[in-house]
Amino acid sequence: MASNTAARAAVGAAKVVRPIFSRDLDEAKRRVRELYRAWYREVPNTVTTFQLDITTRQGRDKVREMFDKNKHVTDPRVIDMLVIKGKMELQETIHVWKQKTHIMRYFHETEEARPADFLSKFYRGHDP
Amino acid sequence: MAEYANLVRRALGQLGGHGGVRGLLVQFFRVNDVKVGNLIGVDKYGNKYYEDKKHFFFARHRWVIYTTEMNGKNTMWEVDGSMVPAEWHRWLHCMTDDPPTTHPPEPKKFLADIHQINVSGSRQQYVPCTTTRKKIHEWVPPKAEAQ
Amino acid sequence: MLRLPVVSRSLFPAALTKGGAAATNNVRTAATATAAAPNLLEVFVDGNPVMVEPGTTVLQACEKVGMQIPRFCYHERLSVAGNCRMCLVEIEKVPKPVAACAMPVMKGWNILTNSDKTRKAREGVMEFLLANHPLDCPICDQGGECDLQDQSMQFGSDRSRFTESKRAVEDKNIGPLIKTIMTRCIQCTRCVRFASEIAGVEELGTTGRGNDLQIGTYVEKMFMSELSGNVIDICPVGALTSKPYAFTARPWETRKTETIDVLDAVGSNIVVSTRGGEVMRVLPRLNEDINEEWISDKTRFAYDGLKRQRLTQTMVKNESGQLVATTWEDALTRVAGALQGVEGNDVAAVVGGLVDAEALISLKDLLNRFNSDTLCTEEAFPMAGAGSDLRSNYLLNTGIAGIEEADLLLLVGTNPRYEAPLFNARIRKGWLHNELQVALVGKEVDLSYTHDHLGESATVLQEIASGTHPFSQVLAKAKRPVVVVGSSCLQREDGAAIMAAVSTIAQNARVSSGVEETWKVLNVLHRVASQVAALDLGYKPGVEAIRKNPPKLLFLLGADAGCITRQDLPKDSFIIYQGHHGDVGAPMADIILPGAAYTEKCSTYVNTEGRAQQTKVAVTAPGMAREDWRIIRAISELAGVTLPYDTLDEVRDRLAEVSPNLVRYDDVEEANYFKQANELSKVSCYLTPAYPISRASQTMAKCVKAVTEGAQAVDEPAIC
Repeated sequence: MASNTAARAAVGAAKVVRPIFSRDLDEAKRRVRELYRAWYREVPNTVTTFQLDITTRQGRDKVREMFDKNKHVTDPRVIDMLVIKGKMELQETIHVWKQKTHIMRYFHETEEARPADFLSKFYRGHDP
Repeated sequence: MAEYANLVRRALGQLGGHGGVRGLLVQFFRVNDVKVGNLIGVDKYGNKYYEDKKHFFFARHRWVIYTTEMNGKNTMWEVDGSMVPAEWHRWLHCMTDDPPTTHPPEPKKFLADIHQINVSGSRQQYVPCTTTRKKIHEWVPPKAEAQ
Repeated sequence: MLRLPVVSRSLFPAALTKGGAAATNNVRTAATATAAAPNLLEVFVDGNPVMVEPGTTVLQACEKVGMQIPRFCYHERLSVAGNCRMCLVEIEKVPKPVAACAMPVMKGWNILTNSDKTRKAREGVMEFLLANHPLDCPICDQGGECDLQDQSMQFGSDRSRFTESKRAVEDKNIGPLIKTIMTRCIQCTRCVRFASEIAGVEELGTTGRGNDLQIGTYVEKMFMSELSGNVIDICPVGALTSKPYAFTARPWETRKTETIDVLDAVGSNIVVSTRGGEVMRVLPRLNEDINEEWISDKTRFAYDGLKRQRLTQTMVKNESGQLVATTWEDALTRVAGALQGVEGNDVAAVVGGLVDAEALISLKDLLNRFNSDTLCTEEAFPMAGAGSDLRSNYLLNTGIAGIEEADLLLLVGTNPRYEAPLFNARIRKGWLHNELQVALVGKEVDLSYTHDHLGESATVLQEIASGTHPFSQVLAKAKRPVVVVGSSCLQREDGAAIMAAVSTIAQNARVSSGVEETWKVLNVLHRVASQVAALDLGYKPGVEAIRKNPPKLLFLLGADAGCITRQDLPKDSFIIYQGHHGDVGAPMADIILPGAAYTEKCSTYVNTEGRAQQTKVAVTAPGMAREDWRIIRAISELAGVTLPYDTLDEVRDRLAEVSPNLVRYDDVEEANYFKQANELSKVSCYLTPAYPISRASQTMAKCVKAVTEGAQAVDEPAIC
């Protein structure tokens, strides 16, 4: 606790910023874990409510992948913001404000990668 | 007691009216219904038209059991409302009480000799040709002279 | 019968050279501008003081402070007629309103541009104009860009007192390009003045007086001018509109792209109006150094050729010799395979007249990777002496605008009226306002101004060069002489001799005139847009090299002049055609690669003065067509010699490496090595030179028919 206070003091000395929710990284991490837990529990419900053609396992893997995508973030305010967005998504999923297609959009099944090299761009069309 | 006996009699009648258990099942899977009634007539394609005014209310009292082969197309499982020819259509939809068996329709030029099933959604469907102007007229290579 | 322009031309040059036009930079006489500087007049526009030169008109003085006076008949490039009366303004202490366009200012005048009297005068004039103007704006092609429409909204009355019947005038058929609805005419006579002053054809005039005044050609005849389309632009109302554009689009629904024209070597600045991926029309864009505000008819009306005979698919010749459509992958693999089998002199390329600099450099880089330098242009140019090594040898060095300053012009083997109509308009301007004397060696043609015809043969040139011809004395007296040789006569067998003689004449004239070093005498007038860029990049002019040494693989890049045919090549040779029109080149090819036309790509062209300019993408290339340099870049990758550029900017960096002037847009890169160089060494204008675009254009075909058979031959049933 003392170290926390010290760290907080150090941060405050460096730059005074207004926290969103979490006053330090540990608190932010706790919020992330809470969100992850909530998603983890919600996945089986989602699969049944939306009649998704995936298994619970696949859904949970996707959740983990989405969390892992942001694991490089260390700024508590950014983490808080991401958690807020994650909560919004979760709420929309639980209340079925989303539809099946919105859930499946996380899996990028229908997206084609844009061509990167000259030749595939050329074959694809006019100046993509 | 009497009504129960009636019910059993109707059940047995449905069993018998479709030609046993097998016929009943076929009928059930094709039509999702097993009702029996008076056969009013059969058109030249083999569609059978039934009526039962006693047990069914209006609009359920006339029905058709489609033929299994029409115009060379297997219609055992692929049935379509448009398989009913014009003269039966008016009776079936209660526009008249006189079936074409007793009151044959007046011959008209526009009545088709052979009734066609609707072709929408198939390869034969009508597609209007485009009438919009072409923005770019492409070059057509000249025909190569025969070697 | 009254011919306004004849009267006004005799009056006008005096007024113009007094300095009135010098203020608007019309005539490039620097002398008058500097001399007039000290004695300026002070006048007031709505109380704001402004210093102007004596002789400035009221209208120009108002323009100087940013106050636009409404006008119909006044046009800054034409003589002043003063007959529409729309520019009436009140001047303090002057009893009557004066016509601003014709009245020179006097010292201390206070011009009231928005007083009650001025407004009342405008309203009255507008009421008279509208008395005989039909109210058919909803079906009028000028609707939305009509001066009368705009100005009646701004200055006209809000109600009509008109109860009488309107005048009606019969429409005239003046050719396949211009549609006339003469009832709409307000008799501003701009078209009459344009025809006689700029175009130089005295074919339009006025008949009748007062209410019966009519514009017309007196007798039923065609308005035969290569600049005729410009009367559509200068007509302030919908009396003269474009026939091909009639009822096709409205100005507010089109998208405008500012680009340049490549159908001749002048490089006119144009605006391409498009709607829904289709070119609807072409309009001129102001560029004082090139085309002022005019464009030639070919530039304006050949756009329908962009929609016909287009190559939209890659094609490959199958076993029976029939060209069949295929995919890009297939076609490019075949091209790459064919390229890998050859080396050195077995591969050659011919480029046509519409190819951009980006495609030229990538094709050159590609063939150089295969150790071949047989890259030729279709248009020949004598390579004896300095040839194309010195840039000044093949440019129109004086510049198009520079012609106005010259006092003697010798044209050699060229008909600028057909080959570069806007250059001809400049010559005519110099002839009209600057006493330019013109002489012509070559086929006698009507140049729309007086000129001395010296003869047709090349021996005349030798005589002038050696000083035995009487014209040599004239040339020796000239202060600012200019010699222009047309690239068409350099196509001949004795092109080198002609070029040498012209070069000597030019050098002699320079020495005898004692003109300063920056003045250039020798000029070459090219016919095709790609030639200068090709020579800059080191292409060989003419296809002689290919004839002498027939290659196994020939790459035609937009080559449609038919310089090389199957007969010139070995039987098993392989021809690749890349271009945008199925014309002469495509049918003999084994593989066709569809490219983009000039309205469909962002690319560089260098005009005959050596001015690099960019075209812009107005519409997407049709079907599978791609930008030319991209196709060549893709071939290079499949052939295993990837060219080091992926984007347009990278190609332009490469252009800058080879020839930096090609990316200095809108600047003329000067070249001045005449001394060294010297020491070292008709159908109709609508089809000259024959380009795939103008050949595919139905409008151009109608023009040719109308010229050869008369306007009635292409008469269409009148719709309106």
